[in-house]
Amino acid sequence: MGLISEEDRKYLKEEFSSNLKREVKLLYFRKEKNESEYSKQTKELLEELVTLNDNLSLVIESCDNSEKMKSEELTLCPSIKIKSDRKGFINFYGVPAGHEFISLVEGIKDMGSENLSLPNDVIKDLKEIKEPVDIKVFITHGCPYCPGAVRNAHQFSLVNEKVKGSMVDANYFGELSMKHRVSSVPHIVVNDKIGFVGNMPPNLFLDKVKEALK
Amino acid sequence: MDFSIQKKQKDSGKKHFSAAVIGSGPAGLTAAIYLGRSKIETVVFEKIIPGGYVVNVEKIENYPGFVEGIPGEQLGKLYAQHAEKFGSEIKTEEVTKLNLNEMPFRIETSHGSYTSDSLILATGTSNRKLGVPGEEEFTHKGISFCATCDAPFFEGEDVIVVGAGNSGAQESLYISRFAKHITIVELVDHPTAEPILVDRLNENEKIKLLVSHSVVSFKGDKLLSNVDIKDINSGEVKNLKVKGAFIYAGEVPNNDLVKDTIKLDEKGFIVTDERLRTSIGGVFAAGDVRNTPLRQVATAVGDGAIAGHEAYRFLEEKK
Repeated sequence: MGLISEEDRKYLKEEFSSNLKREVKLLYFRKEKNESEYSKQTKELLEELVTLNDNLSLVIESCDNSEKMKSEELTLCPSIKIKSDRKGFINFYGVPAGHEFISLVEGIKDMGSENLSLPNDVIKDLKEIKEPVDIKVFITHGCPYCPGAVRNAHQFSLVNEKVKGSMVDANYFGELSMKHRVSSVPHIVVNDKIGFVGNMPPNLFLDKVKEALK
Repeated sequence: MDFSIQKKQKDSGKKHFSAAVIGSGPAGLTAAIYLGRSKIETVVFEKIIPGGYVVNVEKIENYPGFVEGIPGEQLGKLYAQHAEKFGSEIKTEEVTKLNLNEMPFRIETSHGSYTSDSLILATGTSNRKLGVPGEEEFTHKGISFCATCDAPFFEGEDVIVVGAGNSGAQESLYISRFAKHITIVELVDHPTAEPILVDRLNENEKIKLLVSHSVVSFKGDKLLSNVDIKDINSGEVKNLKVKGAFIYAGEVPNNDLVKDTIKLDEKGFIVTDERLRTSIGGVFAAGDVRNTPLRQVATAVGDGAIAGHEAYRFLEEKK
């Protein structure tokens, strides 16, 4: 048996079938040498996922390929970036396991469709952002509040190309978590500087992001 | 690593329902199951994740039928699947405003507006804050209210847990997998958790229980580094060096939506009669948010069944 249960495979096949209207590529950057169990399981998960729909494909890259990392605007390893011809920056630093698995699935569905479940006033405000906004959402796998924050960041990136949304596994990237004084999650860091904590509706989340940009 | 998924139902696009349930904990989802089986068009609004607070509980051991206990996350998923099986729609949207002055009731959420002919409030409770110096400053900077979320950050560190009730005891046992040492500070002169949990606390070498003590203040520099605690009997204040603090010192009702419209008791819990009717016709309350003598999954489920049935009766009588 794989990492995804038969029941969940069936559900995901249906979800992908009704949502993926275009090709979606999962770009997995990992360390080639001394690959950890963590990284091996991530690879196994992604390999399983792409068998669930013909529009899904997996490309495995090495984090040693710094040029490629740079061109994808990725700064941490391992990383899963979801790409399609839809504009947006949906990325996961570390493994989206536990409560975060739903964020990976929703991210795939978003990139393969025209889905956007943000309120109109939030979309309008997001379009007005002119400067680059890098949103990193630090999570733990046991945090039920975190997927909402990750989804906000990812969906914001679909509205405005200036916005990048990344999940960060706070335990795996311990040093970075310490640097940003992460001790409660979801902890959101904007442009590697200012942070705030907690999941909230999209309009309040955007207010916090804009506040951090001031 | 776990890769299981919380299944989502397709959005019906409906904006009017016969019954709306706010909160998807055990009470709310049980009400939805009963309403669904009565063929009532029902929507459940949940701001975080179906299952409510129960998903934070590592294992529930006193819910009948699960002899070995069941992870709260799994139970929450089962409740959601069960409610959806009978036709209820669960929306992950935060209810921001209610208008209960007109029928149908008007519900504003983070994502839109809805109306409903009846309403069940199952919004649960939040952890009560202590109101001591330093608490606001160090919340999320060492002070946490969610052990399953944040305990891994305190690997090998000393922490305190405030409150030796069921939540404080259960979470202390969970935190002990990560922390080096845990001091539980309890205001009264004995732990109020179930005796079976108290036995486990006593058996755990990492955990020390300090009864008749209170937290005076939280201190640190940018992050929490120590707390002052006071011996209630002697008045002596001691300082503990800790990196983390988890607070489980009782609950406050999540009543913001109705605090100005519905009758509450002196602590802010929604007042109901035995049929879980509130002071407004067609509005029911179930689970931890109402004035109930015990707040457990089992009692919430019972409340949900009554509230669901009573909402159905209300709708039938209105016809």
